[in-house]
Amino acid sequence: MGLPPETTNGAAALELHGMTKRFGNLVACDGVDLVLNRGEIHGILGENGAGKSTLMKMLIGLVLPDEGTIRTDGEPCRIVDPLDAASRGIGMVHQHYSLVDALTVWENVALGERGKLDAEGTRERIRSISKRYGLSVDPDARVRDLTAGVRQRVEIIKCLRHEPQILILDEPTSVLTPAESDHLFEVLREGVIREGWAVALVSHKLDEVLKATDRITIMRDGRVVQQVMTVDADAPSLARAMVGRPVTLRTASAAIGAATAADLAGAADRGYTGRPVLEIAEASARSADGEVLLDRLSLQVFAGEIVGVAGVEGNGQQPLSMLLSSLLPLDAGTVTVDGIPIRSGTAGAMMKAAVAVIPADRHDTGCITEMSVAENLVLTSMDRYTSRGVLRREEITARAIEMIDEFAIHTPGPDIPLGRLSGGNQQRVVLARALSAGPKVLVAVQPTRGLDVGAVEYIGERLQRAAGDGIGVLLVSTDLGEIAALADRILVLFRGSIIGEMKRSELDLERLGLLIGGSTDLGRAS
Amino acid sequence: MGDFFSAVLDIFGSPTMYGSAVRLGGFLAFAALGELVAEKAGTINISVEGSLLAGAFCGALGYHWTGSTGVGLLTGVAGGLVIALIQANMSHRLTADQFVVGLTANVLVLGLAGFFNAIVDPAVRPAAVVAIPGLSDIPLIGPALFGQTWPTYLLYPLIPLTWWLLYRTRWGLEVQAVGENPQASDVSGIDVNKRRRQAIAYGGLLAGLGGAFLVLGQVGSFDTAAVGGRGFIAIAAVYFGGWTLGGTLLGALVFGFADAFRLAVPVLGYQFNAQLLAALPYVLTLVVMVAITKQLRQPAALAQPFVRGLR
Amino acid sequence: MTGIDTAPEILPSPAAPHGRWRSARETALLYVLSVFGALAISAVLVAMTGNSWPGVFKALFDGAVLAPGRWGNTLTIAMPMLLVAVGTTVAVRAGLFNIGQEGQLLMGAMLMAVVGTKIEGPGVLLLLGGLALGSVAGGAYAGISAVMRYRRGVPEVISTLLLVFIALQVTGFAVTTDWFLRDTDPTRPQRAQNSAALGPDTHLPVIRVFGNELSLGVVIAVVIAVAVAYLLARTIWGFRFRVLGHNARIAQKIGIAATRNGTLALFISGALAGLAGAVMLASGSSSYRFTPGFSTNIGWQGLLVALVARSRPLVCIPMAIVFAALRTGAGFLASTGVDRKIVDVTQALLVLALLIPPAVVFLRNRRRAIAAVSEAG
Repeated sequence: MGLPPETTNGAAALELHGMTKRFGNLVACDGVDLVLNRGEIHGILGENGAGKSTLMKMLIGLVLPDEGTIRTDGEPCRIVDPLDAASRGIGMVHQHYSLVDALTVWENVALGERGKLDAEGTRERIRSISKRYGLSVDPDARVRDLTAGVRQRVEIIKCLRHEPQILILDEPTSVLTPAESDHLFEVLREGVIREGWAVALVSHKLDEVLKATDRITIMRDGRVVQQVMTVDADAPSLARAMVGRPVTLRTASAAIGAATAADLAGAADRGYTGRPVLEIAEASARSADGEVLLDRLSLQVFAGEIVGVAGVEGNGQQPLSMLLSSLLPLDAGTVTVDGIPIRSGTAGAMMKAAVAVIPADRHDTGCITEMSVAENLVLTSMDRYTSRGVLRREEITARAIEMIDEFAIHTPGPDIPLGRLSGGNQQRVVLARALSAGPKVLVAVQPTRGLDVGAVEYIGERLQRAAGDGIGVLLVSTDLGEIAALADRILVLFRGSIIGEMKRSELDLERLGLLIGGSTDLGRAS
Repeated sequence: MGDFFSAVLDIFGSPTMYGSAVRLGGFLAFAALGELVAEKAGTINISVEGSLLAGAFCGALGYHWTGSTGVGLLTGVAGGLVIALIQANMSHRLTADQFVVGLTANVLVLGLAGFFNAIVDPAVRPAAVVAIPGLSDIPLIGPALFGQTWPTYLLYPLIPLTWWLLYRTRWGLEVQAVGENPQASDVSGIDVNKRRRQAIAYGGLLAGLGGAFLVLGQVGSFDTAAVGGRGFIAIAAVYFGGWTLGGTLLGALVFGFADAFRLAVPVLGYQFNAQLLAALPYVLTLVVMVAITKQLRQPAALAQPFVRGLR
Repeated sequence: MTGIDTAPEILPSPAAPHGRWRSARETALLYVLSVFGALAISAVLVAMTGNSWPGVFKALFDGAVLAPGRWGNTLTIAMPMLLVAVGTTVAVRAGLFNIGQEGQLLMGAMLMAVVGTKIEGPGVLLLLGGLALGSVAGGAYAGISAVMRYRRGVPEVISTLLLVFIALQVTGFAVTTDWFLRDTDPTRPQRAQNSAALGPDTHLPVIRVFGNELSLGVVIAVVIAVAVAYLLARTIWGFRFRVLGHNARIAQKIGIAATRNGTLALFISGALAGLAGAVMLASGSSSYRFTPGFSTNIGWQGLLVALVARSRPLVCIPMAIVFAALRTGAGFLASTGVDRKIVDVTQALLVLALLIPPAVVFLRNRRRAIAAVSEAG
């Protein structure tokens, strides 16, 4: 280990030394040293939970360090909030949660500044930044009407309006099509060359980091474990440094972007015949505002197969998940489970038809943090533990304990509120409930988002086991690697309908990337 | 029924009706304007009732001590502000439930006002009517809008002021932002709960003024039943105004009209059941809400408290 | 699996046992300080008027508990408050904010008056029928708000309140209209604006204990409180209400229809408020006559009781007694020269004071972040 020799590109814009942050007993960052140089794209690589995000939040003033020093241009400083960071030339492009839907682009860009509100001035700024960096956007558009890719452009403009010298991007490509990702890296490279930016690119995908960066720092369990120049790095060694052990499983490789096309292809197709266990036909739905949520969406899932639904966020993943959770009434189209049509939007209809959904956001429709672990585990089957209206407490507790053992959920007991458990264990509760309900169809939406490699492997293994048991698995994910690693058949979701399909044996990542961007083989999808 | 309709036509043709509507809806307009700002920030300020009553009583006190309507209005504003500050700090600094705090604050004000009223018994006289020359000659609505007691006219500049505050200043932009998406606002460096407290304070200022107006500019005396639970109509007005400025004022006016209608009916010689008339404004409010609520879009984070995650 | 999220989770309370004890002691101290603060402010207010605050507290205590026959009165006043409060807990736990109890109570009392004064029949049947009908009336009245919410999206916090005003007018109409409820007895000195009195065989029986009289309604109220506590915690219906209250989307997903369950919860809360009104009338409120202003703010106070009790039905029992004690105690204040309104002030201050400790605890625990990942693995 030890720092590689400095590149010629010059002065360190930012030096971090000994950065430490604890949240109670959890040490998120432990004595991290980092140098960001001007004119360089520096990749911060690590699996989910390694501490990269916390480190960056300390740079941007959203988190206060317990120990450590920050030096900008050689001067030590304390960064207390985002505006303070901005005044020191540090800007972050956020992933989510940073734009207000109801406001326009210029209002969002103006948000967080100080001083008189100047609408026309802000619009001018936006136009000039747009032109300069090739990020076209309409200043008067309302953010809620924009796609994820365009929203990110707004986030970038919002960051650039402070004219930062140090840019931090946290997992920026998770919401982008492959084409948009490439464009983003071009913009970054331009900025680095022309303006001398120091860019920190945080990612858990090593293929991305290998492609876009000049230097790589690998973090694991809150510490820096390796630093290397990108030209000297290769995927297997990066993978090993990230996870701390050789990475062999396909799911794990895919999770960290280490899987090659050869890894992912290969397995012969499993043949499926007979009736699909889930069939959605021409499903269409609009929101209350008239926005199209689903547009004649059709798909089939057969028993024992894993169908992957790929696509960039905002193309109908959430409506599809809501439909199968009985939360979205259709304007047209049908949903059929094992040949029996199910009424959309009717409370509990999907669940009673043995469709189990592991949602993307467990707090939205996955679990109730104020209720106990046991109640969450038997949430969907409470009726079974009732006699003449009274709940049979002992049986519920016993069943909960069984499930806690089977799924290795770490909890002091079955009766404590779910909210006391760590995020990963809460996710296990949701998974346990879904798998134990005897589903015919298992819908997993972004199941491994935010999880570390070990967790990813576990979930992947359980999904495969479920398929092996004859359950039809529908895997909806924006992570191409995850889909490619697990799915037998891949569908592409674009603007509320399925525009393409690919079997495992014909897996073609490039074609997949195009489909995700809306280009069908017959030209651009409307 | 036919009687009812001819009564309606008769009454809407009479200028006194419009004058009454402005008088009776006036205090609500003040309060609703303030409540609009509070709700744009994502808070529901049930203590608007308490702020109104506090404004009324403190206004009466101010007049009682100094004999000046102007001072009374100022003390009324102060009273309304104090109550709003209690609400704001308990629910947006101490994280107590805003509904509970609001309801309790109303009970508190009712008790305090009654308690002190029995001791002090402020003597109040209504303010002078000042007709604005020229404008007050406009047929039908002229006297109603421009021939009132002078505290009424304080409402008119407050309308464009509130509009400007909400839609032309950075403060207003941040207020809207924290009402729509507090997480995003927080990440952008805005102190969410501080803005919410400030918005509630603004609501309290205006409600306090409205209460003082009620006592000094309209009724001319203080009674603990002065507000009588109607502060809540201010909240209803914001709802069925769809959280827009114009809609909110319209809501307050509609209620004022209904109230004025109730009073005008017997005066103009029609006989209608007293209770039915008294219930009319509330029934009307309900009917309007049933008719239009589905189409309205509320601030996305309305009534959702915000507590920042760990730093 | 380590399952660490990128955003670490927070445990809201310490894990170690002795830490739990210490924080329980601190919380208890907070409560004591808050309540003391509220009482101190009240004492200051009394002193400001030149009266003696120990005298006031003594008068309150005498009026509520000590003087002969008074604690029976206190319990009889607590009875409808408790019913209203328990009903409110059902609605709140289901995620609905019903603040129209005052109106629902009036409806219940009105129906009781109709059955008791306008219908002929055996007393017991009339009494039971009146109580039942009063409950249904209160429930249906709250049901109107449910319909408005689930079909048209009107927030129940607004509709229930508007309905209170309407109820006041309806009941005013009732007692001033001969064919409805107005007392048409020509032997009464003036044409009073209230209903006839309930006949003695439609009165709720009275329990005499230690020289105190309390209505049988007290027992009914306590039984109902316990029943509702059991319902919420131990039955499938309570479970459904609770899920609905925590997360309406999950409720929909697992088959708990918001419309049906929410309406039921609102109906129950209105029905208990209606029952409170009926029971009040049958226990002798306003001399067994239905009058304008019959509800005397019992509905509002019951709501406050529920909120102070944090929607726990069993905690409503002592809280209702405390609130009722303040009310009956106020009856003895005349001799001290202090206005009765001080009791309203004290009550509001107490509620505010009781809101502070849980909020402080919540904030303190968030700051003292202890991640659950400490259990390793």
